[in-house]
Amino acid sequence: MDRDALGAILEVYDREERFLLPILQDIQERFRHLPREALTETARYLAVPESRVFAVATFYKAFSFTPKGRKPIKVCMGTACHLRGASTLLEELERELDLSVGKTTSDGQFSLETVNCLGACALAPVFTVEDRVYGKAEGRLAEILERERKS
Amino acid sequence: MITLIINGLKVTVPEGTTILEAARRLDVEIPTLCHHEGLSPQGSCRLCMVEIEQRGRRRLVASCMFPVAEGLVVETETETVAGARRFVLGLLRDRCPRSEEIAALAARYGAKPFGRLPLGERDLCIHCDRCVRACEEEATGCIAFSFRGWARRVEGPFGEAPADCIGCGACAQVCPTGFIAVEEEGGMRKIWGKSFELLRCSACGKPFATREELVFQGLDEGDLLCDRCRKREFAASFTRGVR
Repeated sequence: MDRDALGAILEVYDREERFLLPILQDIQERFRHLPREALTETARYLAVPESRVFAVATFYKAFSFTPKGRKPIKVCMGTACHLRGASTLLEELERELDLSVGKTTSDGQFSLETVNCLGACALAPVFTVEDRVYGKAEGRLAEILERERKS
Repeated sequence: MITLIINGLKVTVPEGTTILEAARRLDVEIPTLCHHEGLSPQGSCRLCMVEIEQRGRRRLVASCMFPVAEGLVVETETETVAGARRFVLGLLRDRCPRSEEIAALAARYGAKPFGRLPLGERDLCIHCDRCVRACEEEATGCIAFSFRGWARRVEGPFGEAPADCIGCGACAQVCPTGFIAVEEEGGMRKIWGKSFELLRCSACGKPFATREELVFQGLDEGDLLCDRCRKREFAASFTRGVR
């Protein structure tokens, strides 16, 4: 783990418990997961028990203990997307990427996860790659992924 | 001072008292699980629900959290209250079918398990948070609830033996269902996957406290007194010099 990068994240925040969540978010963004040493270091920095840090880190789905891909793919499983075939979309993505939900490709480029609503129901079924939104993408999946692989 | 009425009985208590505390003064019994006199209230088990009447409206509140108010009218055993408790106990029966404490409470209120929760391995933990609060408030805060939903469980960080545990056993002491395992044998205490050597009471010689506890409390090993001997010593201090 890059200790300097962690130090740079921590020093932005005052040593107050209320900054636990934003610190964890920054660590997740920088390292694409929460390295154990980073959690221990965060606990020490904020002077909160490690148990509390672990509790918060395991509570939120946005945090991960295994590295996510550089381009995390989120497939919406909300009601509108569900009705418009989100599960089929997910299966197709799994096939195209040769990847199952919760896993990361061996080259570390993509990871696949499901979310409960992306708030873009009009585009159902919808998924995002990083922060790019793709809606009603039936039949264009291979093309979209190809472009994402190269960019 | 505030005067309120509980089950038709008048009681006067200081401001900030909870309904539960006021009721106990009257010897009115209200069942609780997550409440513990030594810990900050949590209001999560919903077993202590009582019906209150305020400004002409009746509603259910958690008596362990609800501060008394002037002229408050409280009923602790209405059918609505019994229904609320029955519901909570039914869910707890599903969650902890092996708990004798829960079974006894459930029997008292005629609560039956709903049987709609997924089957599987069940432990004795009712998620009342008493152990976590005890550790936080009296010790090092080395245990907490991790994960969420069905996976939620009390454990040390990273699911391992908590490095900061001082072996005080406060968590096990406040656990209402005996979920937290603590073993004492041959002068050793085993808890949370760790072993602690027990120091002896300097008066009676009973092994009772861990060195880590002592260091945490900032006490000297010399004048270590177990709770019984400390009580006796304290009582003796009243009669000392009196003849």
